[in-house]
Amino acid sequence: MYEFLQYQVCDVMTGDPITIGPDAKLREVEELFESHDFNGVPVVDAQRRLLGVVTKFDLLKAFSFDAHALIPHYDEIMEQPAEAVMSRDPVSVAPHLPLSRLLQKMVEMRAKSLPVVENDRLIGVIAREDVLKALRRATIRHELPVHEEPSP
Amino acid sequence: MTTLLYTHPACLEHDTGFGHPECPARLTAILNVLHTSPFAALEWRDAPQAEIAQLTRIHPQGHVERLLACVPRQGHYAIDGDTILSPRSGEAALRAAGAVCAAVDAVLKGEASNAFCAIRPPGHHAEPKQAMGFCLLDNAAIGAAHARAAHGLERVAIIDFDVHHGNGTQAAFEQEAGYLYISTHQAHIYPGTGRRNERGVGNIVNIPLLANSGTADLRHVWRQDIEPALREFQPQLILISAGFDAHYLDPLAELNFNEDDYRWLTEQILAMAAEYGQGRVVSVLEGGYNLPALAASVAAHVKALMEAPRIVQRSLVKGILERRKAKKNAASS
Repeated sequence: MYEFLQYQVCDVMTGDPITIGPDAKLREVEELFESHDFNGVPVVDAQRRLLGVVTKFDLLKAFSFDAHALIPHYDEIMEQPAEAVMSRDPVSVAPHLPLSRLLQKMVEMRAKSLPVVENDRLIGVIAREDVLKALRRATIRHELPVHEEPSP
Repeated sequence: MTTLLYTHPACLEHDTGFGHPECPARLTAILNVLHTSPFAALEWRDAPQAEIAQLTRIHPQGHVERLLACVPRQGHYAIDGDTILSPRSGEAALRAAGAVCAAVDAVLKGEASNAFCAIRPPGHHAEPKQAMGFCLLDNAAIGAAHARAAHGLERVAIIDFDVHHGNGTQAAFEQEAGYLYISTHQAHIYPGTGRRNERGVGNIVNIPLLANSGTADLRHVWRQDIEPALREFQPQLILISAGFDAHYLDPLAELNFNEDDYRWLTEQILAMAAEYGQGRVVSVLEGGYNLPALAASVAAHVKALMEAPRIVQRSLVKGILERRKAKKNAASS
């Protein structure tokens, strides 16, 4: 019942995740989303330092109406670099953060996934699905035998 | 004068069930580190069982009797989803409360200037008539009441830096002006009490902190809230509800204190105790659920208690210098 409290982010994250550079075009990012089931992709520099994150939401937002044009220039926007739409200074987590605290953060931020950073380098991504899987694993065994009697 | 360390093997036998975070291994981790050479000067003492008369200053006798009657002969008994009894839980609870009373006796008799009670189950959620939140009897409250009733002290302060609010201690003392209860805790988590506007008879100081508060916030609220409240109250004895679950690695909450914050906070408390209460401090273990973080935090806390004379001397010298400087400034202006 309490096993979940023992887990840390590094136990269930995806290590060595797929990343993109800041100049990857939005067309490539979209293709990445089509061929994988993740919701966001970390943007890193050559030293694998985290620069930002592009999510499906960021991508949609790039095509939304704004003050610059009456109609979004769909073709041109697809050619923009990732760094034009990415969320900068993204919230990241440390590998040894207890999973219970990660879950709390995810719920509060409504985040679908978060980058995992250690010593300034991206080392993984942790997604809602990873946490759910850990929750299932932690609750599948060990029911505590207790007598249900009125409390004193 | 040395620091006393109260504990008892029965506290290791309070079994909360497989995987429960409030587990015997917490205490084992603490005792292991306190057995290492930097702590050789600690004076270890066995915790006696509290007498019923000591408990009933906080918990009505009928409640204590019903609670002890719930202790199962075998297996477990759940008071609520968090609070589990096993066959040895009754003795553990009595030893935990007894440790604090014995530590208060020893410190007030001058056998030591301070003491740490390495005990479980913890206490600060236990309300006068309701065990809850891993807690059976409110150990710190029982010790504080003992200091007033058995030793005639008039002003006893309890500083509670566990990440959860001590609803039990607040409930015990909110109508009692002879006690000052100060709590830092994370807002909006268990048990839901501890808002700033809960002030008792002016003797309750609640300091809720937002998730992810850390070192700077702790220092800020010390200067802003805790130190002024202590200076106004002038406690003759300070008890600490020492929970270490505000640590940044703790799985049950989201504050970001570290070991050095616990050292710093302990030193501030010792300096206040030196100024108003002849240095008398009794610290009582509450929560803390990441074992390495707990052990390291307790080590920092106990090390500071052991170094109290040096810390106190330093703060006295600092005080004298500051006053001298202020006088000089006043004279020259």
